Amino acid sequence: MALDEALLVHGPGDRPTLRLYTWAPDTLSLGYFQRLADVPPAERWFRERFPGEGGNGGAKNGGAKNGGAPAGPTPGAVVRRLTGGGAIHHQRELTFSITASLDHPLYRGTTARSYQRVHAAIAVALAAAGVTATPRGDRELASERAATGMCFHKSASVDLVWDGRKGVGSAQRRKDGRVLHHGSIKLGTTPLEGEIATLAPGAATPESLGAELRAALVASPDGPDALIDLAPDVLEDAVRAHAERRAPFFGSAAFLARR
Amino acid sequence: MRPDDRKYTKSHEWVKIDGDTALIGITDFAVAELCNGNEGDLVYCDLPDTGRQLDAGETFGEIESVKAVSDLNTPLPGEVVEINPDIEDHLEILSEDPWNKGWMVRLKHSAANAEGLMTAAEYEAFTAEEAH
Repeated sequence: MALDEALLVHGPGDRPTLRLYTWAPDTLSLGYFQRLADVPPAERWFRERFPGEGGNGGAKNGGAKNGGAPAGPTPGAVVRRLTGGGAIHHQRELTFSITASLDHPLYRGTTARSYQRVHAAIAVALAAAGVTATPRGDRELASERAATGMCFHKSASVDLVWDGRKGVGSAQRRKDGRVLHHGSIKLGTTPLEGEIATLAPGAATPESLGAELRAALVASPDGPDALIDLAPDVLEDAVRAHAERRAPFFGSAAFLARR
Repeated sequence: MRPDDRKYTKSHEWVKIDGDTALIGITDFAVAELCNGNEGDLVYCDLPDTGRQLDAGETFGEIESVKAVSDLNTPLPGEVVEINPDIEDHLEILSEDPWNKGWMVRLKHSAANAEGLMTAAEYEAFTAEEAH
């Protein structure tokens, strides 16, 4: 998350950056404004990692501190994203982050239009994995669940769906004329997300899907002529320094439990 | 036409001078951008504590819609002397009346003008270009 912030603040002005990643260990990420207490698994996992730490909200929905046996999967890591929206269980997925100037054709104009452009490229990448993903529009989805705090249990009209379920989580942070766009493309179900849209077994790996996404972004009508793929050896000094300076903050109990 | 009793920023805030204080809010264009025509899409707004000193251009708060979190930036430097207590629980007032009821913070400003502020007419032209 510190690197994503660094790219948002110090990324190159002329070209978007694309960062593709997976997670180890399994991680639950909270949206920027979410209350820890409103995502019960996140609160349990947080207390495993930071025993004795507070948290501002308390365990409204029953966490481990109430004495009950923790339910669900083995606790992994918890992080808080800079982007908004709901919590995501990062397992069996490809995660991407794009940073760009809001002047770039991919992000110019309304927020909704920028989602349409990026999601069109994701749909092309998903087609190579055998699914036809389309914007939700006004449809009701079988993946909706009330009050779980999970991203994949809520949807907006621009979200990509197939098989009547949400399959791509996507959120933006806009700051000083630039944008950070996070996305999660699910290859399989996860214990905390249930009946979401996924790919057929063996249809893609995070690596193959990432390659398809990169190609689709470059080939899209408003796509970047050049796209900077991120690797540690290509990071600008300012980006690297910002990420190193901010990493302790993003890993701190204070930030995780800020709400 | 937007109100011509105030100035506008490229990041879609407005500032209205009122003696030695100034009211700051966000424009109808910003609200439309954030909520895509659906006021229920606004999720959360975080405003500063009173007493906070701000430089011109500094982020004073953050607002979340269903698909984006955006910074709120002050056009003028000064001290936050009041915040609108209705905003957090009634985000719909930003859609209903961004120019009056939807003010966000009152600053005791230390400079009444700043570089880059636009008149209403200039902002009209700017947003017409942005909408493309």
